[in-house]
Amino acid sequence: MLDRADTPRRKLVEVRGLKMYFPVTAGVLRRKVGDVKALDDISFDIYEGETLGLVGESGCGKSTCGRVILRLYDPTAGSIRIDGVDIGAADAQTLRPLRPAMQMVFQDPQASLNPRMTVAGIIGEPLDEHTQMSKAEKLDRIYELMDAVGLNRNFANRYPHEFSGGQRQRIGIARALALNPKFIVCDEPIAALDVSIQAQVVNLLEDLQDRLGLTYLFISHDLSMVRHIADRVAVMYLGRIAELAPRDALYDRPMHPYTQALLSAVPEPDPEIETARKRIILTGDVPSPANPPKGCNFCTRCPRVMDICQSVKPALREIEPGRFVACHLYETTAAAGSTGAPEDHERNQQGATQ
Amino acid sequence: MPDGAEPVLDVRGLKTVFRTRGGEVHAVNSVSFDLRPGELLGVVGESGSGKSVTMMSLIGLLPSPPADVRGGSVMFDGTDLLKCSEDHLRSVRGARIGFIFQDPMTSLNPVFTVGFQIMEPLRKHMGLDKRAARVRARELLDLVGIPDAGRRLDDYPHQFSGGMRQRVMIAIALACDPKVLIADEPTTALDVTIQAQILELVRELRQKLGMAIVWITHDLGVIAGIADRVMVMYGGQVVEQAPVKELFANPRHPYTRALLKTVPTVRGERAAKLNVIEGQPPILKAEPAACAFRGRCGHAMPRCERENPARRPVGPGHDVACFWDPGTEDWQDG
Repeated sequence: MLDRADTPRRKLVEVRGLKMYFPVTAGVLRRKVGDVKALDDISFDIYEGETLGLVGESGCGKSTCGRVILRLYDPTAGSIRIDGVDIGAADAQTLRPLRPAMQMVFQDPQASLNPRMTVAGIIGEPLDEHTQMSKAEKLDRIYELMDAVGLNRNFANRYPHEFSGGQRQRIGIARALALNPKFIVCDEPIAALDVSIQAQVVNLLEDLQDRLGLTYLFISHDLSMVRHIADRVAVMYLGRIAELAPRDALYDRPMHPYTQALLSAVPEPDPEIETARKRIILTGDVPSPANPPKGCNFCTRCPRVMDICQSVKPALREIEPGRFVACHLYETTAAAGSTGAPEDHERNQQGATQ
Repeated sequence: MPDGAEPVLDVRGLKTVFRTRGGEVHAVNSVSFDLRPGELLGVVGESGSGKSVTMMSLIGLLPSPPADVRGGSVMFDGTDLLKCSEDHLRSVRGARIGFIFQDPMTSLNPVFTVGFQIMEPLRKHMGLDKRAARVRARELLDLVGIPDAGRRLDDYPHQFSGGMRQRVMIAIALACDPKVLIADEPTTALDVTIQAQILELVRELRQKLGMAIVWITHDLGVIAGIADRVMVMYGGQVVEQAPVKELFANPRHPYTRALLKTVPTVRGERAAKLNVIEGQPPILKAEPAACAFRGRCGHAMPRCERENPARRPVGPGHDVACFWDPGTEDWQDG
C-alpha cells in the first residue's frame, strides 16, 4: 500500500484540535468538580484507502477518539471533517444521512450483537434503517455480505451465541459493511480473540479493504498487529498524540521516548533475541487523565525528561516529511512556548534535519 | 537446568472432565509433566486448550460438580495431592504452592486492606502473630517493588493501579515462601509497559528466591523471554514439550509451527501476509480417539483419524505427540 505514496492522496478524515472532556461530579447535587481530559487537543488526517493505526495503553483515549470521530460522543471542541463535511458540531438530523458512510466494528463481539436477533436480522438492520429495499433485495444483500466475510449462508437464521468468537466478529464486520461505508473505525476488533483466530480476522479486514477500497482507523493496544495492518501509526499517551509516522519509519526508528519505551516493552517471540535484548523499563504508572501533569503528559515517566518538559506542553510538529512528534527533544527553535493546537501553519518542513 | 534433579512436582496422566447439561466435556486428557527445582515451565495454548484447568485440577481448586478429576497422580513433597485429605490440601495451597491469577482486581477482596490479605496466609499457614505478620507483609511489599510499603498496607485494592495490584498478588503468593508458584496469565490483563515491569520483577525474584514456576500464557513473546522449558497444549493434551530455545529453533508439532508463524512481531522483517490456522479449536465431547488437531493440520494423514498420537522423544528433553516427521525440512518454509 506504500507504493501509492507518490500520487497525491485525498484526505478522507481531517481532525483538528479535537477535545473530549468528560465531567467529574461530586456530592449529592452532582456538582461538576473537574474534567477527565480523554482527548486533549488532537489533530490528524486519514487518507483515502489507508489504514491509520492508533495505539496506546488503556486509558490513553484511543477508543474515545474512535467514538468521537463517528460522533457517538459530542466533542467538547474541535472539528472533524469526513469526506469534506464538518460533522464536529452537526446535529442529529444532519448526521443521519451521513452515517452510512462511516461505520464501526467493536471490540467485544459478544456484547455488540443483540442476542435476541438472528444473524440475518443483525446484518439487515442497517438496511431497514437507511434503505428502501424490498424483502427479497434485502435477503440477497445479506447473503452477499455473509459470503464476503466468510460466513455460511445457511446460518442466516441462527443466533449469535451459536457462533464462536471469530465468527461473531465476522457478523459484526458484515453489519458494518452493509451500507457500503467509506470509512470504518475498528475498535480493538481482535483483542478478545485467540491468536490463531486474530490472524483470520485481520486477513479478512485486509482483503475487504483491497476489494472495497475501505479506509480504516484501526485502534489497538497490540503493537505487532498494528505493524502488520497499518500504513501509518499514531501513538497516544494520556489524551494526546505523542508521535504520528509512517509505519516502517515508526517501528524502525521511533523518536518519541514513549514510543521507544512502548516498542521496547513488547517481548519478541525468539528466546535468542529476548535474552540478549536491552529493555527500556518505564517506572510508575500512567497519571490520571483527570489530573494530568503540568507540561508534557509523559514527563513523570520519561527517561529523558528535561526542565522544559515540566512546564511546557510540547506541540505535535512535523520534523520530517510525514513524521510528527510532540517532544521537546526534537524542537529546533529555542522558544517553544506554544501549547496551542498543531494548526496547519505548524505543519511545515521546519526542523526536518533531526 | 539440572537434568537429574528430583522434580518438585510430578504430574502423571491427569484427567479432568466437566459434566454439563450438554454432556461431558473432556477438558484435560492424560496430561503428564514434571517441574524441576528452580525452573520456569511455560505453558502455551489457546483458550480452551486446558492449560488453566490442568493447573486448577492438580491443586483441587475446581468446584465439583461440575468438575471431576478422574485419574492420574500429582506427586508433591512425597504426597499424592489427588488422594490426600482436604485438610492436607489446604495446608499446601497458598503455603507451599502459591498462585497468581490473571485478573488482580477480581482475585483480591475489595473489602479488606491489602495488608490484611497479605497477612492472612502468614497467620494461617506460618502461625505468625499480628505484629510479626505485619513486619513480614511490609517486607513482601518492599520485595515486589511497591513504594512506601509501610503506609500502603492499610490501603484497599481499589487504591492500587492494575500493575500494583498484580504486585500485591505476587506478594501474597510469595508470602509463605512457596516451593512452587503457579502463575495463570499473570500479565495478560496488563498494558505492555506494565507487563515489562512485572516480567523484570519476576526475573529478579527468581534469582533471589529460586522457587519453581509454572507460567501459563498465550503470548509466545513472554514465554521466549522468561521460560526455561515450554509445554504446548492443544485439545486438553500436551502436544509438544522442549527447552525454550529448542522449541523456537526446532518446533516439531504442526500446531506449534503454525502458532509460531501466525504471530506478527515489532522487530525484524514484516510479513506481507499473516499466516493463518484455519478452523476452530475442538470441543472434546469424548476422550480423544484421534489427533485433536487433525482437522486444522496441513500434514494430517489417515493414521491421524484412527489413533491419538502418544508423546515420543525426538531430542534431549524434547518430545512431541505427532506421527508426522518433518525430516530435514526447514520449518520456516515448511
